Amino acid sequence: MSNAELEIAVDDPTAPEENSPAVTNSRTVDVAVSLLLLALAVVLAWDNWRTGASWDSTGPEPGYFPFYLSVILGGASLYGIGAAFLSGKEAVETFVTRAQLRRVMAVFVPTLLFCIAMQFLGIYVASFLLIAGFMRIVGKIAIWKSLLTAFLFSAVMFVTFDIVFDVLMPKGPLEAAFGY
Amino acid sequence: MRNLIKIAATTVALFASAPAFAGWEPTKPVEIVVAAGAGGASDQMARMMQAAIQKNNLLKQPVVVSLKGGASGAEALMYMKSSDGDPNKVLIAYSLIYMLPLSAKLPFDWRELSPVAVIALDQFVLWDNVNGPKTVKEFIEAAKASSSPFKMGGTGSKREDHVLTVFMEKKTGAKFSYLPYKSGGEAATQLVGGHTESNVNNPSENLEVWRAGQVRPLCVFDKERISYTTKVTETQSWNDIPTCKEQGLDVQYLMLRGMFLPGKVTPEQQEFYVDLFSKLVQTAEYKDYMEKQALKPIFLTGKDMLQFLEEDGSLNKQLMTEAGFVAK
Amino acid sequence: MEALGLLLHGFAVLLTWKTLALMMVGLVLGVFVGVLPGLGGPNGVAILLPLTFSMDPTSAIVMLSCIYWGALFGGAITSILFNIPGEAWSVATTFDGYPMAQQGKAAEALTAAFTSSFIGSLVAVLLITFLAPWISSFALKFGPPEFFAVYLLTFCSFVGLGREDKHKTVIAMSLGLLLAGVGMDTVSGQLRMTFGSTDLLRGINFLVAVIGLFGISEILLTMEERLALRGHAASISLRTVLAVWKDLPKYWLTLLRSSVIGCWLGITPGGAIAASFMGYNLAKRFSKDPDSFGKGRIEGVFAPETAAHASGTAALLPMLALGIPGSGTAAILLGGLMVWGLNPGPLLFVEHKDFVWGLIASMYLGNVVGLVLVLSTVPIFASILRVPFAAVAPMIVVSCAIGAYAIQNAMFDVWLMLGFGVVGYVFKKIKIPLAPFTLALVLGSRAEDAFRQSMIISGGNMKVFWANGLVGTITTLAILLLFWPLIDRLVASFGKASPPAAKAEA
Repeated sequence: MSNAELEIAVDDPTAPEENSPAVTNSRTVDVAVSLLLLALAVVLAWDNWRTGASWDSTGPEPGYFPFYLSVILGGASLYGIGAAFLSGKEAVETFVTRAQLRRVMAVFVPTLLFCIAMQFLGIYVASFLLIAGFMRIVGKIAIWKSLLTAFLFSAVMFVTFDIVFDVLMPKGPLEAAFGY
Repeated sequence: MRNLIKIAATTVALFASAPAFAGWEPTKPVEIVVAAGAGGASDQMARMMQAAIQKNNLLKQPVVVSLKGGASGAEALMYMKSSDGDPNKVLIAYSLIYMLPLSAKLPFDWRELSPVAVIALDQFVLWDNVNGPKTVKEFIEAAKASSSPFKMGGTGSKREDHVLTVFMEKKTGAKFSYLPYKSGGEAATQLVGGHTESNVNNPSENLEVWRAGQVRPLCVFDKERISYTTKVTETQSWNDIPTCKEQGLDVQYLMLRGMFLPGKVTPEQQEFYVDLFSKLVQTAEYKDYMEKQALKPIFLTGKDMLQFLEEDGSLNKQLMTEAGFVAK
Repeated sequence: MEALGLLLHGFAVLLTWKTLALMMVGLVLGVFVGVLPGLGGPNGVAILLPLTFSMDPTSAIVMLSCIYWGALFGGAITSILFNIPGEAWSVATTFDGYPMAQQGKAAEALTAAFTSSFIGSLVAVLLITFLAPWISSFALKFGPPEFFAVYLLTFCSFVGLGREDKHKTVIAMSLGLLLAGVGMDTVSGQLRMTFGSTDLLRGINFLVAVIGLFGISEILLTMEERLALRGHAASISLRTVLAVWKDLPKYWLTLLRSSVIGCWLGITPGGAIAASFMGYNLAKRFSKDPDSFGKGRIEGVFAPETAAHASGTAALLPMLALGIPGSGTAAILLGGLMVWGLNPGPLLFVEHKDFVWGLIASMYLGNVVGLVLVLSTVPIFASILRVPFAAVAPMIVVSCAIGAYAIQNAMFDVWLMLGFGVVGYVFKKIKIPLAPFTLALVLGSRAEDAFRQSMIISGGNMKVFWANGLVGTITTLAILLLFWPLIDRLVASFGKASPPAAKAEA
């Protein structure tokens, strides 16, 4: 009995192809991120300089630490850019392949839409749409299963948060129609 | 059997009071907005209200406490400001409504909100460690004689605790280093550990460490003593603490605790809450709370409240200006 | 024995049907989030935290800590069955646990993991029981300079001992510190880095950041990487359990060593994650047959799991007695404590005896109940992974959004969470470490406040950090840790002893 093993292999209908072309490599992303961080560091350093970044009689002013942290962040980012250009090894490493990116977008875009929809429809309707849509379109799961799962999950969440625990969640026209 | 009578009585009371707020009633859970962190005086007050309202069936909708203590309470003010016309949010306000717009240039004015009631005034007490000086006089002398300035703990910067410290310096000539902590609780712990020489906490914030015999109240910053005479520690009641004026330190400050609705609510909605809070202050829970926290009873609504706010507001502005805390 | 009396009192507080029921619910939820890829300890606790806001503090913390124990157990399940570590400290468990499962010894591996987790946390709980009162009186000695020194020690330990590129650790930490500074500055009462935005006014909530950094980014990564979830369902019979237990005494040295490492690193703020690696590395180093590690050796499961649980449990001690979280999850529990109006710190042990000893008693009970629970329900939990990822992924997204929104009732936080999700995804891929980033977000503003308060006290004199033996020792230790790699190399070049830490990883 103890060695009764059974193999579960969950097949993923949209698995990325093994040899999909690379969209970009790690070095490019490394440099891009470093540049973004550098820009952020400059903006924050400027803002903190304005707030006051010197050392007065009662110790450092509010902008003192953030200012020097921005300088450190900027410095480390510059170093990162330099290091990325000097290292040859990282250049070969793929950051993301086209197939992978497609899959990441397949989950990121619905999440983004969900966040937008949440503001107008309320979180429960939006989550119903997200779960049902994702299961059906991305997962290719039977429509009745998708709808049922989505409905049950949203309903359980609604009962848990809004009814049992009085945690107020954003609600939309549907909830309003039922008087919530 | 007794329970049955109680239930019957409550039911009758409920029906009897029903016509009083026939005009408008909340249809959603009512949110009590707290402009301070968890466990602070405002939070405790909100939880007390929540319990008192629910136990006495003052409201059909549930009451939710939401903590908006971010940015020293500025978060709560901006939250109320952006909730114009929403009658399901009540703010527990205190002196920050006057001080934050001055010290942090926060774009806020209490006149933009709808005042409901002033329900209490909070005291300030000068505390020191039990191993420190025993009277205000000895304390001031020790502070003057000390080679490095005495350290005064308090909550936040450029706020009521800080203002009091500046005025103590002005009146006595002694010098203090003001240490801003995140909460009154932290200021209390640091005083116990001997990292500061004193603090000016509200009674509620130092209550537990006073009872544990770790700190000593020196004087209360009010014209008269606190009225509660029930023993709090083995030997002392709130009433046994002398006023600072008695002790030769002429500094006074009282802080309001008031309820506000967001701006642009209808008069009926405002009326409903005035009614709700006038009932609330009659409950046993509320009275018990007032005594435990040594709060000064007061109840002002309508015109009286507006007048109080105007006067209190200009007093606070004057204090802040004199202390040099108004941002340019 | 005062501690024993108090502990018995704690058990009395706990032994109500309501608390026991909450404990079970917490454990089940914990194992549930631990098994789900993309959740795990800190995330599970973060998401479920608002659920407990309406409970009384004792019930709430008991439920949350049980979620925590459950998540630790659950993390081991996925590490062993699917090679997916639910937590940073479950990574080392996969080294030998997954090969064991592939050899058809999943049941043994799971039993070993659960048993050693149990032993590790038991040792740590015993330590807390008998040391906590002493630590809490010791803790009153902590003023601003001492607190700053401890924060410094924590930060330095990350820079010094981390395995990532140094400049990436620096980027992670300085960015975290900067973001922690957004909002109102406590010491001066001024606003900074808000750019006039009312949403930025309240600062960046680290719970929101954590949900995004770990929850959302893990979904993105899982989606990208895993072609299919391949796993072995296992059932555990009593015979397997007994067979593993019979062998336990053979490994007493490994268990003891890992427990000691775990307790020590757990009490050092922020050290918990390193514990499981160190436990594994040392077990391998002192083994007569180091080459058999990584190929399915049961000792390779015992060592990291014992250390991870000992440190995870011991991490709660500095949180309770000093208000300093020893691990990510402890940090979230700390936030929770404050929500319930319990000021963690020296007086917690004096002022809230019921709560503290209730919590400690819940550690004993939670562990025993947890062990039985996981041993009996493994097959059910493992079957969660049979649910298609396409159904699990959107549910995790919704849970994250609910969690992020509920913290401050702010839509802005949902966007922030999404932003941090992308940041977490990119950072993980270009190997900017998330642990120091999170640490800086949690401790950043506290460290700065402590430093500036110290400066007010001393009138701007840095000597305050060496003013007495306590603060001086911690500060010096911090600086030693900062330069540890350098010192280590120096020492190594003198003797022929090889540097221990880096070797075993290869």
